[in-house]
Order: sequence, then C-alpha cells, then structure tokens
Amino acid sequence: MLETGIPKLDKLLGGGIPRGRTLIYYAYPGVEGKVFGMQTLYNHLKKHHSAIFLTTSCSPTPLFKELKEFGWNFFAYLGEKFRVIDSYSPFIGTKDELGIPMDETEVIESYTLHLLREMENIGEPTLVVVDSLSTIMDLCGEYETLEAVREWNRYAKIHEHVIVYNFTAWPYSEDVLQELKENTFEATIMIGGIAERVIFGQYFGLLKAEWTPAERKSVLFKVVRPGGIRVYVPKIVVTGPHNAGKSTFIRALSTEAVSVDRLGTTVALDRGHVEYKGLSVDLFGTPGQERFDPLLKIIGGEAMGVFLVVDSTKSRDFVRAKQMLESIKAYGLPFVVIANKQDLPDALSPEEIRERFSLPRNVDVIPTIASDGVGVFEALERLVDRIMEDGINEGGV
Amino acid sequence: MALEGYSLGIQRLDDVVGPVPPGTNILIIGPPMSSKDVLLMQMAAYAFMNKEAVIFISTNIPGNKLVDMLHDIDGFDEEKIGIVDCIARTLGIMSPETDLIQMASSPVDLTGIGVRISKYFEDFYMRKGIKKIRLIMNSLSTILMYSNIKTVYRFLHVFTGRTRSADALGLFGIESDMHDEQTLSTLKQLFDGVIELKIEGDKEYVRAVGFTPKPTEWVLLEEGGGD
Ligand SMILES: Nc1nc2c(ncn2[C@@H]2O[C@H](COP(=O)(O)OP(=O)(O)O)[C@@H](O)[C@H]2O)c(=O)[nH]1
Ligand SMILES: [Mg+2]
Repeated sequence: MLETGIPKLDKLLGGGIPRGRTLIYYAYPGVEGKVFGMQTLYNHLKKHHSAIFLTTSCSPTPLFKELKEFGWNFFAYLGEKFRVIDSYSPFIGTKDELGIPMDETEVIESYTLHLLREMENIGEPTLVVVDSLSTIMDLCGEYETLEAVREWNRYAKIHEHVIVYNFTAWPYSEDVLQELKENTFEATIMIGGIAERVIFGQYFGLLKAEWTPAERKSVLFKVVRPGGIRVYVPKIVVTGPHNAGKSTFIRALSTEAVSVDRLGTTVALDRGHVEYKGLSVDLFGTPGQERFDPLLKIIGGEAMGVFLVVDSTKSRDFVRAKQMLESIKAYGLPFVVIANKQDLPDALSPEEIRERFSLPRNVDVIPTIASDGVGVFEALERLVDRIMEDGINEGGV
Repeated sequence: MALEGYSLGIQRLDDVVGPVPPGTNILIIGPPMSSKDVLLMQMAAYAFMNKEAVIFISTNIPGNKLVDMLHDIDGFDEEKIGIVDCIARTLGIMSPETDLIQMASSPVDLTGIGVRISKYFEDFYMRKGIKKIRLIMNSLSTILMYSNIKTVYRFLHVFTGRTRSADALGLFGIESDMHDEQTLSTLKQLFDGVIELKIEGDKEYVRAVGFTPKPTEWVLLEEGGGD
C-alpha cells in the first residue's frame, strides 16, 4: 500500500492506495487542495521510493523552495528516481533547471507522451503526481483531457503505477465533473469548504475507493507550516440564558460526557462529545451568565456553529437571549435556536418564539425536551447540515 | 443586520450611481493610458477611510511595491488589507508570505489565487469581524494573457459569486483595447455593472453602465482621476 502521508486519510482508505490504482483529490475552488498531492508525493519520496511529478502552474524551483515551509525538502530527492516534468516554465517562456521541460502545453498528446515515457523509463512501479488536472483541462479542453486521463490510468494499471491527481473543481461541464467524481479514478477524495457567508473551515472525505468500503465521514483540517494537513475536531458552542437547559442539552447529545471537574480549570465549562453522521463534534457550554465572546476566544478558530438554547416558558429571558443572538450573528457563525422545555404547559411554540425574536424563515427554531432527549438529535442534524452546506462551493451561488 | 451600501469613492460616479448594494461586482474598462489603475487606488483609499477591509489582487505590480504606494494613504491599516501578489514569484522574488502579502505562483495559478482570496475573506469576516470588504483586482488583462476566456470565465464565475455571498464589493479592472468585443461581452455577463473610461484628445471621460436604466452621461474626469 502506498500511504498518502495523511494518517486519517490512510485509515479511511484502508491503509493507503494499492498498486496500479489511481486517485483524485477533488477540491472546490478556494480550499487548499494542492497540499494533499504534495504531501502524498513527499511522504513517498521520504521513504526513498521513486516518483514522477508533473507541474503545470508553477516552475519546480520556486515551488520546491516554497514547500520548504512545510518542512519538505524536495531538492534532496531529485535525480533518476525523482523526475519532474515541467510544462509550466516553457509555457511562460522561462527556463528552470530542475525539470524535464515539456513543450506544446496546449496539446494533450504532449502530456501523454511525457507521462508514459517517464513511467516507462523509471523502470519500476512508481508514484505519479499530477498538479494539476484542472490546468491541463483549461489548456487542452475538458473532453480531450478526460479521454487522455483514461489512457494514462490504463497504462498505470498494467504497469502497477499509482497516479494521484490534484484537481480544482471549477464550474466545468456537469457531465465532465460527474465523470471525474464517479467513474474515472478508483478513489475520489472530496475536499470542500464549510461556508456561511465566507468559507471558514475545510474538510475532506472519501467519496469512494474501489478497494475498500467508503465510510461516509467528513474530517475537518487545517494546513499548518511546517507539517501540512492537520486534522481537528470541530467545536460547537451551546449558549443561552441561565437555566435554559444548556447542560441538560449537552448531556442528552453526548456519547462521551466530559465532566466539568475533569476539565481542571476554574472556568466551569460544560463539555461533551458526539459522533454523528461521520462527523465528530465537541460541544462547549457557556456557563451561566457568562458572555459568549470569551468562550469563542478560548476555542479560537475551531468553532463551527452555535446552539442558542432558550426556555420556551420564560419570555422574560428573551431580551437577554436576543442580545446573545445578535452577538452570535456578529461572528457570522451558523446557528440554530433551541426552543427547549416544550413539555411544560405554558411553553411557547417554536413559531411564537420565532416571532418574538423576529427571526426570518430560513433560521431554524427546533422544539426540544432536553430532559427527555426529545428533539436534540434533530437539532444537531439541522446545525450540522447548516455547517456542511456547500452550495457556495459549487460555484452555483 | 442589513449592511448599508458601498460608495465607490469617486465623487463623480457616486453622484450618479449612488451607493451600490452589498454583493455588487463591477467591471472597470479603460484604454491603456486611462486612469483605470488610479481609480482602483482611489477606491481602495476610500475603503481605508471608511474602515472597510481590502483584498487586493495584483497581477501587474509586486506586492511590496503596492504596499509602498498604499502606505501613505490616510487610514491605511495593515490589519485591514490583504494582498494577493500574482507576479512576484514569476520575477524570482522568493520572500516568504506574510499576513499582508500572500503570493500565488503566477497569473496562471488560478487555484492558488483562489485559495488566498478565500483565506482573506475568512480572516476579515470571521476573525476580525469586518463585514465590509472590497475585493480589487487591478487587471484581468494579465490573467487573460495566460489563460483562455473559458478558464477565466469559470474563475470569475466562482469569485464574483463569493463576493456576492460575502456581501462584499468586487472591482475588477480590464484593458479595453487588448481584448476582442466577444471576450468583453462574455465577461460583462458576470458583472452587475460596468464603469467605462475613454480618452478623447487630452481629456478623459467616465460613465457607468448597468446601474441606472440607461447608461449615465459621459462625464469629464479631472486630471488625476477625480477628487
Ligand atoms: N421540564 C423540563 N425541564 C428541563 C428541560 N431541560 C432542562 N430542564 C431543567 O431545567 C433546569 C436547568 O437546566 P440546566 O441544563 O442546568 O440549565 P443551564 O443553566 O442552561 O445549564 C434543570 O432543572 C433541568 O432539569 C426540559 O426540556 N423540560
Ligand atoms: Mg449549566
């Protein structure tokens, strides 16, 4: 198995990529997809295996210099066993010593010729990394490229090479995107953005791998220098007035409750953890009357969404809850309002609460009875959907 | 929390088109010697004054030079500006990226440019809580030198969309004489309005198309590009 060098991903892939297979890193525009291919390449070289690298939008020298920030020294491996095909430098009319220059960058046969030749010359099953397929499609045409890629993949299969493609999913023809996602490679890794008004988080997930069942899982990641892809657990904040049912709500959701004591801080935070639909989430409750801002500071850039819990019977708390809502909105995080204590006779309905808060239709107000666990998973589902909504990423805004 | 509109910061234009709604994308077309770049700088300057954030995508001036030019403008604040430098690397400048200047590999590297734009959007909107952001690209013409119109269209389709979702203001400059009519009309489809510049004799004129039912009159642009 050829490891990608991203442990969590290797696990999803059942250990890595078997010989003769191909994989696409299918990234939405604006998310850091390129790092995936580069990390896979470096991880492979590091083990003193051979590799071929095709670069289409950057000359090798500046690219490798830049990648030193990740702690990756590609220069150390250049030679017979690490060949770089450089279609970029000739394209913009510069020279770069490191690569094998490739002319006629707008003719797809040119890529085929170089790739097949190097795969043959290297004389052993190897790893080929293409960065990127989208540039080739831009230059040579979508359909022409798709057809050529099938040929490269067939060749790789016969000679037991692994090919890994970086790809940015610009709004190409629907059928081409569909083919790339579903039918052209043995494995597809989706790399997307979590967006409300702007993209504020990135995730990857396995869409399919023909050698192992695809576990539907979205893994949040950051790109760190040095290091590359770093996986983290997203955090969801539970806030609301005193006695609204925040602690109860967190307990009802948590598969793994972390007691306040064990946290060992002076801040009495509620914490919980839940695995849900392939996403694992940490829950953080704001204590009593505390404000929302300090908590967000504590958990930094990893907050992904907010539950605002209100006691549906206590309309005198609504003024306070409304202020909290305003400050959540100011952060621009996705949120869901929890109309808790629906079991009590004088509870206002979610619709009444929506009116009191003058919330627009597209904001979810979910009825719950946290003390009986009623509605809590529906609420989580709504928030997770809101967080993972990727309409913005499809370019079809 | 409806955001108020954006003034362009060019008096003559603001007089006729008024503040434009959040999420507007504008194409600024002018011939080679026109004040297109000057107007873009003035629009950036206005943003500084107004405490808006600016994402500046530079395809023809290296980032550090651009900083020198912007530095003396009133209200300049490093915290509120992010530059995506698309040419330093092609000139062999290997200085590391900073919060102020991020570097794409080249004007061909649309993927890299896109990643850096997104980073700045996140940084301003989520981390710094600045909800008014203007995205300025000084020349689409450079991008079009390296990538075909289809490719550029796809790129812009995505990023004018992002500007819209973020309630930002997108301002994209382009040379009128470098591209054929078809290229320009293809691109125009992606924009809510167009600001056109023309030079006649030694005078320069400007008008706005698409903001009002009919194009505005051509008005004289004072030397230096306005006020
Ligand atoms: N009747 C009813 N009581 C609830 C419900 N949820 C929480 N409670 C009760 O409300 C009180 C405050 O709950 P708690 O979770 O400590 O609120 P917090 O201050 O927001 O953390 C406790 O007595 C809970 O048992 C609910 O859905 N229905
Ligand atoms: Mg509590």
